[in-house]
Amino acid sequence: MRFVLRMAVRETRASLRRLFFFFICIAVGVAAIVALRSVIQSVRGVFGTEAKSLIAADVLIATNRDWTADARATIDRRLAEAGGTERTELVETPTMVRPADRSKPVAKMAELRAVQPRFPLYGSVDLQGTQTYSPALLADHGALVRPELLTAINVAVGDEILIGQATFTIRGLIVREPGRGMGEFSLGPRVIIAYDDLGSTGLLAFGSRARRAMLVKVADERVIESLVKSLREDLKDDFINTRSFRSTEDQVGRDFDRAENYLSLVGLIIVILGGIAVSSVTRVFILQKIRSIAVLKCLGARSGQIISVYILQVMSLGLAGSLLGVALARAAIASIPLMLGASTSLLAQAHYGVSWSAAIQGIAIGVLVSLLFSVVPLLQVRFIKPSLLLRDETVRRARDWTGIGVIAVVSLALVALTAWQAASLKVGIVVCVGFAGLAVILHLAGRALVALVAPLANSRSFPLRHAVLHLSRPGNQTRVILLAVGLGAFFIVGVRSLQASLLSEFSLQVAADAPDMFLLDIQKGQADGVRAFLGDPAHGAGEYQLIPVLRARVVGVAGKEVSLDGADEVRQKGVSIGREFTITYRDRLESNERVIEGAFWSGSSPEAEVSVEKLIAERARLHVGDTMRFDILGRTISARVTSIRDVEWRESRNGGFVFVFRPGVLDQAPQTFVAPLKGPDGVAARARFQRDLVERFSNVSVIDFHEVLETVRDVMSKVTLAITVVGGLVLFSGGLILIGAVAMTKFQRVYEAAVFKTLGANTRTIARMLLFEYGVLGSLAGLIGSLGAIVLTWGVSRYALEIPWRVFAGEHIAGVLLTASLVAIIGVVSSLDVLRNKPLATLRAE
Amino acid sequence: MIELRDVSKTVMSGTEPLTILHPLSIQIPHGQFVAIVGPSGSGKSTLLGLIAGLDAPSSGAVLIDEVDITRLGEDALAKLRGEKVGFVFQFFHLIPSLTAYENVAVPMEIAGVADARPRAEQLLEEVGLTGRAHHYPSQLSGGEQQRVALARALANNPKIVLADEPTGNLDTSNGRHIMDLLRKIHEGRGTTIVLVTHDAELAAMADARLVLRDGRVVENTLALRSVESLGLPPSKVS
Repeated sequence: MRFVLRMAVRETRASLRRLFFFFICIAVGVAAIVALRSVIQSVRGVFGTEAKSLIAADVLIATNRDWTADARATIDRRLAEAGGTERTELVETPTMVRPADRSKPVAKMAELRAVQPRFPLYGSVDLQGTQTYSPALLADHGALVRPELLTAINVAVGDEILIGQATFTIRGLIVREPGRGMGEFSLGPRVIIAYDDLGSTGLLAFGSRARRAMLVKVADERVIESLVKSLREDLKDDFINTRSFRSTEDQVGRDFDRAENYLSLVGLIIVILGGIAVSSVTRVFILQKIRSIAVLKCLGARSGQIISVYILQVMSLGLAGSLLGVALARAAIASIPLMLGASTSLLAQAHYGVSWSAAIQGIAIGVLVSLLFSVVPLLQVRFIKPSLLLRDETVRRARDWTGIGVIAVVSLALVALTAWQAASLKVGIVVCVGFAGLAVILHLAGRALVALVAPLANSRSFPLRHAVLHLSRPGNQTRVILLAVGLGAFFIVGVRSLQASLLSEFSLQVAADAPDMFLLDIQKGQADGVRAFLGDPAHGAGEYQLIPVLRARVVGVAGKEVSLDGADEVRQKGVSIGREFTITYRDRLESNERVIEGAFWSGSSPEAEVSVEKLIAERARLHVGDTMRFDILGRTISARVTSIRDVEWRESRNGGFVFVFRPGVLDQAPQTFVAPLKGPDGVAARARFQRDLVERFSNVSVIDFHEVLETVRDVMSKVTLAITVVGGLVLFSGGLILIGAVAMTKFQRVYEAAVFKTLGANTRTIARMLLFEYGVLGSLAGLIGSLGAIVLTWGVSRYALEIPWRVFAGEHIAGVLLTASLVAIIGVVSSLDVLRNKPLATLRAE
Repeated sequence: MIELRDVSKTVMSGTEPLTILHPLSIQIPHGQFVAIVGPSGSGKSTLLGLIAGLDAPSSGAVLIDEVDITRLGEDALAKLRGEKVGFVFQFFHLIPSLTAYENVAVPMEIAGVADARPRAEQLLEEVGLTGRAHHYPSQLSGGEQQRVALARALANNPKIVLADEPTGNLDTSNGRHIMDLLRKIHEGRGTTIVLVTHDAELAAMADARLVLRDGRVVENTLALRSVESLGLPPSKVS
């Protein structure tokens, strides 16, 4: 044992510089794992400590309709049974907010929340500065708003704003409020007002998209489950949704677990790339050590002892790399508060630090991966015969069952490791098989490309000829570098192409004469007024259309294939039709629609007829001739399916309806209108238009697609940045492996360069040779990444996003060129001393 | 005592079997200084490898102190070499990543000697390299490297030292220095020395000669020496 320890120390000392980079690679992966896990655990802490404030109640009862007297009575009865309860009600609705100062021509969509004095039952509303929340702030038309509203409509605390028909004074700025999760999709900044002031806004008119909720606190937590259960049972036909904080907590907990486990897989992949590099470098290392190992055997060392020496060496380097990784993660995490700065988001409230569990996991993975990937090549030690010191001979080997067994054990261990990280055996297997598959594909692609450039070995250019020959130099790590650099390039080019593709798709939709504004919640009585407003050239609107909309639920199907009775059965068994739909009626097809079965009506009819969109019809197995029952605001309507329509959703700004009714039955039903229109040109004109419209029709909301596009662009660039960072890390590991590979084979290069120099090659020729070699290698890696990215964008465009597939040549060319230059620069710079060495000294030493 | 009984070695050269060593039987009594002589390709090194258990014979048995080493496994052979056999090679074969001192200490560490330092230092002193203990092989001259190798061969005080052309890569004066050391070791410790060489002059320094040509023994003064040794005073054989 003493021998093993001492030899391990000495060998590490001797080869540290050559092996260093491979373990930096492991450090980068470990750092990614530790940092991601720690950050997510920290953010989770913010939620975990305040699970109840996630929904601000023990039990949340919510509906999109008015509370009926029956429903209220039921809720009252059940809450009384549950004993000792406290409750508060609130209403949430998107609406337009504008400054009371008429000289400011802006209006902005906001998310209004009207609360009663007891709000919140759990958690607290945190305000900016030293202000503390109290219901008194909201009294007499007070409002609390998110800071971003101030800049959006150019107002300040103390100013008056108009919401609907009422004027409110901004009394404070919201930093955090209970019942609002992180990353929830939002239509605009939050505005909180008093429940009692809501009536004065006139926003609760028919058809508004308000959500009404009751927050309930119970004295005894044990009754929560049964209360939720009985309320669900009682209210199942009233479109009322009941849930407990526990179900929310569980859901959030699961989301965090999944995020933590899946994100850390990225780190694991980097570690495994490092592992692959360790594996191939170990193979080269053993080849270079072959004589030393034979000598040790001559001196009485057993194979087991020698393997132990190198395993110990690899594991201590793996441990060192992992510790370095933890240190890197610490540094990265320490910089988070600096980056968030004065941000008021939830993220800024977490206490960031490296968690012990994350650090231990990271270190364990670093050491284990180093071990697993080096064991197989180390087994070669067993076949080194001491007699090779007397006579060079090649030993023919029988099938090495031990080796095969070890490979099997190592593979299983890797699957187990991945499964442990992903906390799922299935994901572990999928990721391992997927990664192995990807590695094989990249490997084959690499081989194919190397074969493709092989004819260059006959090139007339001496440096080019030798550069190509060197790609297949033993111990050159060509394949690993192709794999790592190619994978990194693939990530980056792929995600950038996807982003470009999505943005151009979106821009096209906003372009030219297509509608780029959308009015919501136009009341029936306002329809003529709005038409007149839009038709007035002074307001600058282009083409427009008013579409009647109603909200409906399917409550029954009597059809050839499906028979469902009641809202409950539809919810449980009806595929894709269990949700609430926005429906319309008209007597013509829109330009993006095409009837593929049955016939579309013309004119109105007292008999209800409905046309169903193709995809939903397929999923729910609906056919022409089936009868469907709809609940439209409490009224049940039976309608015969008379046609199936194919809707081109990408051009659906005017006609994106699953269910279209024949005019006649719904004409007199309570309804609102939406209006897609071409808004005025220019930011100022658009702001003024919105302002003027809301001034006249205060309950009407405006969605401006230009603003949405900006938001989408912003979100997308953040996502792209995140994935680019990940891809950058992978690419960085590739760079490290490259530096390591150069260091590993340097003695050979130095010797060759010396021979070339004595044969008359000058330093420039040798430099050009190196440049070509790494340039070709980098181009191949870039090409692999770029080809992969093309396949990725094709698949995602076609199957996930259903948008036309576009190739952005610029991204790909830039990707290949940048990768090639990066690899060439790293390769040449790390080989500088090959150029500088004087040939005589080198040749003498050989 | 080293005993070879009907030992032969045949290898495959392409698809053809090639006999490197035809069956031979020899006995090397303890304390002998034997030179195995012959032109290159005559089977000298192969014979040495068989004696050391570095290689397995195609037929026959190799006995060291009456133990048939052809029946031992790799690990047992390694142990035997560590304890009883020291090696000196033509190309020194020092471990380049270790210092001179460490190269000498390694066999003792493998054998589990508690404190290798004093003995390693003493051995380096014996070969005249006290001041070079912390130099790496690449910082030593050929002669110095071979002296380190010799010190390493003696580390576990082996009964047998096998030397494969130990001076083949050295100039005349360094070669003579190494031969003097070998002679001194033989005489001072009574170590059995088997020296492989193609140099008749060096071979003349040995007590006995075994001449090989094309894998066959063409001259063997060992038998003669063995007979003579019967008449020698026991002290010489101890």
